[in-house]
Formats: sequence, C-alpha cells, structure tokens
Amino acid sequence: MSSQTLDKLPVGASGTVLDVGGEPALQQRLLEMGVLPGIEVKVVRFAPLGDPMEIKVMGYSLSLRKAEAAHVTVERA
Amino acid sequence: MTESSTSTRHEGHARHDRHAIALMGNPNTGKSSLFNALTGARQKIANFPGVTVEAKIGTTRFENSELTIIDLPGTYSLAARSPDERVATDALLGRIEGTPKPDGVVIVLDASSLDRNLYIGTQVLEFGLPAVVALTMLDVAESRGIKIDTDKLARTLGVPVVVVNAPKGVGIDELKSTLHRTLHHPGKRLELSYPDDFKRGVDTLHAELCDLGVKLGFTPTRPEALRLLVDGAGPFFDECEEVGGEEWTRKFFEIRDRAAAGRSLSMLEAQTRYGAIGQWMREVKQAEAREGRTRTDVVDGILTHKLWGSLVFIVVMGLIFQSIYSWSGPLMDAIDGGFGALGDWVGGMMGEGALKSLVVDGVIAGVGGVLIFLPQILILFLFIAILEDLGYMSRAAFLMDRLMSRFGLSGKAFIPLLSSFACNIPGIMGARVIEDRNTRLTTIFLAPFMSCSARLPVYTLFIAAFVPQIKLLGFLELQGVVLFAMYWVGVLFAIPTALVLKKGILKSKVTPFLLELPSYKMPRPRAVGRVLWERGGSFVRRAGTIILAVSVLVWAAGYFPRSAEIDEKYDTETSTLEKSYVAAVVKFKPDEDSESLLAQFKAIDDAHEKRVSELEGEKEEIKAATAESERQRDSETAELASKQSAAHADYENWKELAEKRADIDNRRAGEHLENSILGRMGHAIEPAVTPLGWDWRIGMAAIASFPAREVIVATLGTIFNLGSGQEAESEPLRKVVQDATRPDGSKLFSLATGLSIMVFFALCAQCAATLAVMRRETNSWKWPLASFAYMTTLAYLAALVTFQVASALGG
Repeated sequence: MSSQTLDKLPVGASGTVLDVGGEPALQQRLLEMGVLPGIEVKVVRFAPLGDPMEIKVMGYSLSLRKAEAAHVTVERA
Repeated sequence: MTESSTSTRHEGHARHDRHAIALMGNPNTGKSSLFNALTGARQKIANFPGVTVEAKIGTTRFENSELTIIDLPGTYSLAARSPDERVATDALLGRIEGTPKPDGVVIVLDASSLDRNLYIGTQVLEFGLPAVVALTMLDVAESRGIKIDTDKLARTLGVPVVVVNAPKGVGIDELKSTLHRTLHHPGKRLELSYPDDFKRGVDTLHAELCDLGVKLGFTPTRPEALRLLVDGAGPFFDECEEVGGEEWTRKFFEIRDRAAAGRSLSMLEAQTRYGAIGQWMREVKQAEAREGRTRTDVVDGILTHKLWGSLVFIVVMGLIFQSIYSWSGPLMDAIDGGFGALGDWVGGMMGEGALKSLVVDGVIAGVGGVLIFLPQILILFLFIAILEDLGYMSRAAFLMDRLMSRFGLSGKAFIPLLSSFACNIPGIMGARVIEDRNTRLTTIFLAPFMSCSARLPVYTLFIAAFVPQIKLLGFLELQGVVLFAMYWVGVLFAIPTALVLKKGILKSKVTPFLLELPSYKMPRPRAVGRVLWERGGSFVRRAGTIILAVSVLVWAAGYFPRSAEIDEKYDTETSTLEKSYVAAVVKFKPDEDSESLLAQFKAIDDAHEKRVSELEGEKEEIKAATAESERQRDSETAELASKQSAAHADYENWKELAEKRADIDNRRAGEHLENSILGRMGHAIEPAVTPLGWDWRIGMAAIASFPAREVIVATLGTIFNLGSGQEAESEPLRKVVQDATRPDGSKLFSLATGLSIMVFFALCAQCAATLAVMRRETNSWKWPLASFAYMTTLAYLAALVTFQVASALGG
C-alpha cells in the first residue's frame, strides 16, 4: 500500500514508519519515544473529542496529537 | 533552602564508607518506589536553583558504608531543551551545589518496555560512571509473554543487572551489595557505533568546549559534547554562546554542519541507539506473540471510550471538585474553630496590650490561616496520588487534551485548574503533574484566575446587600445569576491571558504532547500516604512560613501606631458610662464572662421573638400565646438572672451597660484601625480607588485582605464599628454596609460599588498563600511577583470599567 501520514490511519490499522519530520524538538521527542523509521506502529483509538490519538509502539501505548502524528509518514501494512 | 544543604562534605574527598548514587530512568518505571524501599523515611527534597523540578535525597546503609541516594526526575532522554531537563545531566556530573556528586548510578529499567527504557540507559552508560541496572516490572513483562535473559543483558551492557520488585521488597539488598561492589571498580564507558564523521564532530566540539571550560566554570564531558552537537539548542548551548560569543557560535554551527552532512542528527542519534538496542534485544528478549488483550487494554476500552470514558471522567472530576469544595468544609471549620478557641484561651491568660494582640491576632490567627489550607491540599493530593498510581491521570489528560490545547495548555492542566475553583493553592501544587515546563508555568499562572472559595464571602456579602432579590424571566434568581457571572469573570480573563503567555513570554515552539499511557496498577496505600505527607509537609514548611510572616506584618500594620490619646478618650467614655450605672449594677455580679452571659440572655429573647413571629390565626389566641411566651421569657430570664444572684431589673441594667461597653470597644477598635499604618495607607490610596467607587475604608480593607481575601469581611466589620467577628452572612454587617455613608452624607455603597468590589476580588491576586505557593512551585520570586502585578492591574482596570459603566447605567 501507499505511504500516508500517521494521523490518517484508521483505528486498528498498523504501519511501518518511513520518516519522521516536524520542527526539531518534536522530531527529537518522537524519535526518543521510539517512533523512528522501520518501527511498526498501530493506531489504538482517538480520544472522545477526536484528538489526540493513541498508538502502540515498541510494546507500549503512546498518546500524541494528530498535528504531531501528521509529521510521521508510514507505510500501511 | 537550608533543607538542601545535604552535607557538602561528600564532595571532593569521598571517603570509602560514603558514596552518592544517582537513580535514573523513565517515568512510571517504579523508580520512586525503589527509592522509598532503599531509603525509607530518611529522605528530603533537594532544591535545585533555577528550575521547577525537584529531586529527593535519601540515605541508606550497607554494611559499614552509607549510601546517599539522589532520586532524579524521571525522563525519557537526557536531551535538554529547558533548564528543567538539563538538571539530570548536571546532577549526574555533580554540578549542583548542595547535592553530592554521584559516585555511581542506578539505571532503572522497566522490563515490560525494555527497548524504550534502554534509550536513556545508553545515554547514561556513555558517561562511564560505575552503574547497576535495576530491572523492574519483570512480572508484568512475563504476564505479557516477554522473557528477559538477565545474565545476557548484563553481559551485553557490561554492567550488573539486579531484578527488583520494590513494593514486595525483592532485590533491594542484592541491589545494595551489587552497588557496593561496583563502586570500587571504574565504570566501563559504553561505545556505540556512530558514523565516523559524527564521532569526529563530537571530538572536535569536545575540544572546543574544553577550551571554553575556564569560562564555563567546569570541564565539559564528551557525552555533553555529543548532546550539544545533536540538540543544537537549549540551556547548555545558551551558556556556551554567552561565554564564547559570536565566534564560538559560528564555529559550533560549522562543526555541526560538517558532522551532519545533510542528515538529521536527532535521527542519526536515535537510529544508532535504537539500532544497538534492537540488536541486543534479539539476544536478550524473547517475546511470545500473544494475541488476546492485556488487562490494561480491556480497562482502556472502557475508560477512554467515547461514551463510557467521558461519563467516568465527568463523575471522577465531579467527585474531586465536590470533595475539595464541600467535604473539606467540616475540617476547615474545625481548624478555624480550634484556632479561634486557642486564641481566646491564650488571650484570656494575657493582659491587654500589644503582646496579646500579636500572639492572638498575629501569630495564632496566622498559623490557623496556614493550616486552614491543609484539608483542601490533602484531599486533592489524595485523589491525584491515587489516580496517578492507578495510571488514570494520563488517561484524563488524553480525554481533555483537545479542549485544553485550544488555550495553549495540555490535557494535564485540567485537574489543577478544576481544583483551583475550590482553592488556588492545591491547584498550583497540582500543576506539578505537568511535565512540560512552559505548560506547567502557564497553568500555575492561570490558577489564581479560577474563582476560589475564599472569594465567596466577598460575593455573598455584596450580593446580599446590593443585588435585588428579583427573578429574571420568571425563574432565574438575579442574585444567583450575578454569583454565577462572578465565577466566569476569572475564566473570561484567563483565556486571553493563556493565549498571550503562549505567544509571548512562554513562547515554546508548540510543546509536543507525547504522553505515555502506562499500564494500570493498583494504587499502593503507602505510596499514597507518602505523597500526602510530603505535600502537606512541604506546604506547611515552605509556604507556611511566608504566609505566617505576611499575616504578622499585616497585623502590625493594622495595630501600630497605637495612639494613647484614642485609648484615653474611650477609657474616659467607658468610666463615665460605668459611673452612671454604678448604683444599678453593683448588685449584679455575673460569675461568667459578660459576653457569654449576654449571649444566653439574648438567646432567650430570640426564642421568644421566634415563637411570636410564628404565630398566626385568631387575635385572641395570638394574644394569649404571646402572653404565654412572654411569661416563659420572663421566667427564663429571671431564672438565669437569679443564677447570677441578682434581680431581673438588675440584669436589664447590666445588659444595657454591657451593650454600651461593647459599642465603645468597637468604636475604639475602629478608630485605632483608622489611625494605624493600614488606615493611613487606605487614606493614601483613596485618590486611586475613588474612580472605582471606593473610599479609604474599602481601599484599606482591600490592602488588609492581602494575607487572604476573606479577611475583607472582618476588616469591614472593624472599620464599621461592629467588631472583627463578622461573617459574610452577618445581618448587622449587611445592614451597616447598606447604610454606610460618606462624610457628605451620601451612601457609600451602591450596586455599582458592590459590583466593582466583587470584580476586583474575582481578579486580584490578594492571597499571600497563593503567592507563597507559586514561589515554592516555580522556585523563583519572578512568577508570584509577575502574577501579583498583572492580576492587580487587571483587577483595578476591570473594577474601574465595572463601576463607571454600572454608574452610568444608574446602578
């Protein structure tokens, strides 16, 4: 499948991270938390108000805003 | 600050029997419970100057050596974008005054998410300090089908690994003995395989930094050079730029560009670290692919569900607010009553004069004014500790983030701000759950805008006195609407303030909101108890002293100078009065103090009034019932009077005298207050407050209420000669406020004045306790001073507009 940004993945979908961008502090934070190229992520749910979202990465649950997830490009599995 | 003076004797000449150990690791790894298991009750809070995070320092013994354990704030990385994040590195290198330089480090790793935990692990191991890994949550990992070969992990990392389960006391002794052994061997520096050009960049930068060393005041280490090279910004960069100047900055970016060669250095670092970790894990970790959902997944299915999750959230928040707001009431009343009684008791044993007033009105009232906040603080932290331990706090943040992010805050700001409606103090203290420095500071700054319960007496008094009791649209009580509006005034001003702060002073390029949602755990009562003990103690010790000092200062301003002339005038009046009653009263010798006796007589009269007012029906019956009630009153009065061995008529005379005496005393207190520094300050600021519709008396009451807003009620009571024991619901106070006149005979208060006072108090930062806690939580006077200046200006302007508009509309 084609590549898309993480915030666009539907609940339950997984994908492999292709690239992580964003301004330096955000990019660094994402990378430190384990969101880096080659890693598999899975969308668990969106918050009741529609934002932020919860993903599974490296075996733990991470919450991030959709605006932040938009800087993560994934290849949908 | 004195508390942080943990023996500087550790520094420099560490003897063989004393060692300092830093505890580092991710949040939610069980690091704190390990620290508690190691040190027990022997711990205190270390004060790190210039930052808003704190560390705990405790001691433990192993055989003949004493270990000082420094529990550093949990963090995912040593990358330092703010001073708060820089603390970990500084503490690790022993650069914080008053905190011993660590001889070794315990890296706490959560086995259930070992990969991510090892990220900071690799960063710490690059410093080459003697290190031991404490592996926690192995049981959680196993329940998820993850097996860790600890021997292989130890061999791979080159440091000992000890499995610990702190709540169960597993592995604590082994950790200590392993530490003891490790400390006597030099640590092995971890070498990861970074690309060569990157390594060269780090070396070049390290050399440059060492050249700067003299100016910096310390010798930078290689791992710091790596950090600086990758981060390219942050407090360390600013420091270097300051001492190195433009030339240095130019050189730095030259080195950085060469090392990066077009790549992202953050990406390079993360890929190198996680690359190594991934390789190690293939050896060390065996994960059975388990389908099926974990317990946390199941619970999350409900607690973060669109409908159920929202419902649970609303119930939990309602419970927190309700308990801080009303359940703390009885406890606060008990504290209030207890200190009142203590004041009366102590006062009764002392002679009249400045000393008695200092002890009773200054010190005892001041201490009571500190402790009165404890119930609210403890209740909020009871909830926070339980929810945090449970893992719900981050879910609450997850649910509320969308709403709060509109105001530049994060989901974690919700609970502190909600609690602030009950009391700003626990709200500000609760902001410590927010990891991000700027969001935390913004939340702390906004908390005082939430209309706390101490503003309620001000609203109650002025609404009852000036807002007519009419219904709007047939069902809305106008008084209720005004009260509701007062609560919104603060929020209304908080929103633009938040946006300005975010765009201005605290401009952080949009703080990332990356939040781990840890697995749910049962709260541990001991851990919860510890949090309550720490928070309560820290408030009393650190904020309490400031609040007490301010209370005494304001007491002194309201007491001095003491004019002998005024006393003489009222003494003469009292003795003239007493002389005129001497014949009538001589037989009446109450064996109780006059105040309580007067109250008993008054209660009898009141009971009679009440009986009469309740009568309805035929005239004859009313007459008979009234006469019956009068007989009852007279006989009860006579009985009480005869108990005091006197006739009824004597009592009547005595009562008249006692009332007149009280009136003289109240007028005396009022005149003393007018003559005091406080009264003079009131007069001095009168021109400034006239446009608000105030006179010097209200101005003075506003100043006097600096220790706490509700003091305005008691101060108005004194200045209007009613005595200081007035409450907001007090009928006489309401009347006197309604009837008070200016010297020219016009009414002092009107609806417009009342509204202007309420708006002022809704927005001002007139609360010494809030400011003291703000200084405690931000570790700087800058924030409370800014808050006070900003809020006072805002309150003044808003009160001005309110009065002018309301007057123009004929209020």
